Amino acid sequence: MASRLYQWIDRRLGLQPLEQTLLNEPIPGGASWNYVFGSATLFLFVLQALTGMFLMVYYVPATDHAYDTVQYIQQEVWGGWFVRGLHHWGASAVMMAIGLHMLQVFFDGAYKRPRELMWIVGVILLAIMLAFGFTGYLLPWDQNAYWATQVGINMVGSVPLIGDFLVRVLRGGETLGALTLSRFFAIHVAFLPATIALGIMIHLFILRRVGPAGPHDETKAKAGSETFYPRQVYMDAVVMLCVFGIVSMLAINVEFPLADKANPSDHTFIPVPEWYFLFFYELLKYAPGALGPLATWLLPTLFFSGLLLLPFVDRNPERHPSSRRVVLACGLSFLIVVFSLLGISLRDLYAVPKRDPSVIRGMALVEQFNCHTCHRIHGEGVNVGPDLSFVADRRPDREWHIRHFKDPQSVSPGSFMPKFPLNDKQLNDLTNYMLTLKSG
Amino acid sequence: MEDGLSTPVGTRRSFFVKTTVFISSLIGFSLAVPLIGYVVAPALRRRNKEWVSLGQTEKLPVGEPQSLDFRVTVKDGWQESQTTKGVWALKQADGQVTVYSPICPHLGCGFRWDQQDRLFKCPCHGSIFNVDGTVKAGPAPRPLDTLPSKIENGDLLVQYEQFKSGLAKKVEL
Repeated sequence: MASRLYQWIDRRLGLQPLEQTLLNEPIPGGASWNYVFGSATLFLFVLQALTGMFLMVYYVPATDHAYDTVQYIQQEVWGGWFVRGLHHWGASAVMMAIGLHMLQVFFDGAYKRPRELMWIVGVILLAIMLAFGFTGYLLPWDQNAYWATQVGINMVGSVPLIGDFLVRVLRGGETLGALTLSRFFAIHVAFLPATIALGIMIHLFILRRVGPAGPHDETKAKAGSETFYPRQVYMDAVVMLCVFGIVSMLAINVEFPLADKANPSDHTFIPVPEWYFLFFYELLKYAPGALGPLATWLLPTLFFSGLLLLPFVDRNPERHPSSRRVVLACGLSFLIVVFSLLGISLRDLYAVPKRDPSVIRGMALVEQFNCHTCHRIHGEGVNVGPDLSFVADRRPDREWHIRHFKDPQSVSPGSFMPKFPLNDKQLNDLTNYMLTLKSG
Repeated sequence: MEDGLSTPVGTRRSFFVKTTVFISSLIGFSLAVPLIGYVVAPALRRRNKEWVSLGQTEKLPVGEPQSLDFRVTVKDGWQESQTTKGVWALKQADGQVTVYSPICPHLGCGFRWDQQDRLFKCPCHGSIFNVDGTVKAGPAPRPLDTLPSKIENGDLLVQYEQFKSGLAKKVEL
């Protein structure tokens, strides 16, 4: 049936030659697991586009609704947490895939003549991807989104002469607010996707014009070529399945709850950028006073200029790593610096005691159910029922709290505390909060 | 095939092709199920109905329809809003209360109680109903819609529902 339909269309559109060109592209030296990173990146990009479109079904890009709609997706829409999880972890995964793809190209010297243009378009695609990450981070409009974006935008402000102007353009005015959110949204879902789609097409077009670089080892390269289909396609598919499996597992198992709703007056909040910006965040700590502003704009500019110019600076036509010791040493030192900074940053982050998100939700439940009308916690509330400031000292047993919340009279006869309609998750959150209320 | 260009053949080739098709279907299926469910779920969800208190029944006069207002929280997706709804309550001689939806079953206008004629009259298309809800005149295809109600400790509780207009049978929206 399917093949008859294909033949019907083929007789009219003449697809055979196109199919030949697409599938029988010669891979010098044969298919290899080394060449899967580009496909993995493309796959993850498509996954991002797809999940992003679906998130838009419920998301509203306005400051008074954005947070509620994301929470609605996360908590109430069937499968919403999974779709959001895929998009969140997919964003990290696509950055990793790009990193690995670039490393492979760098190590193999595949950016060299005649593939300089492919490398340059690739670097531009990296920049667009980072812009995706930056603009997408604001959209949930929680505390982290708001304050991290505040910091990010202020860094743009350090650009000499036009910095101030750029900041105002990014924010859509004086302050980070409604106009910022709607323009970040438009950039994230319309301008960047259109640009990156064009970029990807050019990247692939160049690949087909110039052909894959193949192995850096001359003898292997000369051993003959293999068609792209079916073995390289099969390898790409296997890697896509692994990548999809990992991202799905993360989406299912690792919770990343929203912080509180963005509150511009709460200056105590310490934002944390996404991990792929973390090394840079850490670096800024080491830039003393006057050098600070230079670090915030000069280093990124140097980094991207360096990448763009790489094929022109490194004109040695030799692709074998043994004849490119200096360039590889430079690349390696860059990686060591980046990963050391990332490591230090992660260590510092985990050294800061983080509040369990479940406890934060428990605190919110105390507000929601007006527990303070009967209980005092650290000075807040009324002492009709017992003071709960150190309740975990008296009642360290989790089961007791759960039973008590379900039916107060069952464990505390004579209590006039009402039964509240709590679901299991809420019971758990509230109990987790209660267990943190202890002295010392 | 060009010189030096090779391609897998036979069972080896069909293994690669079949695995690729299998993987694509697996990924496609694993994505399609949650994504379609994500979009379709709200269409399948029924509103959960709550019992709303309309106050003590002892205050209601027997045989005289009373318009009663109450506040309900309406959940519209991620938006929650408070709105006022009205219903007609008619206390019977035995103390039971019949609660009518305030919406005419013809085409959805709000009807009135005419105290003089002791009839419910719809101003839009002239449907007229007796005090027991039956149609007396006009185009209405069915009697006034009653709402589920109950009395607990003298308190009148009602579930607010809406019905399709223009049908001979009462069908919930």
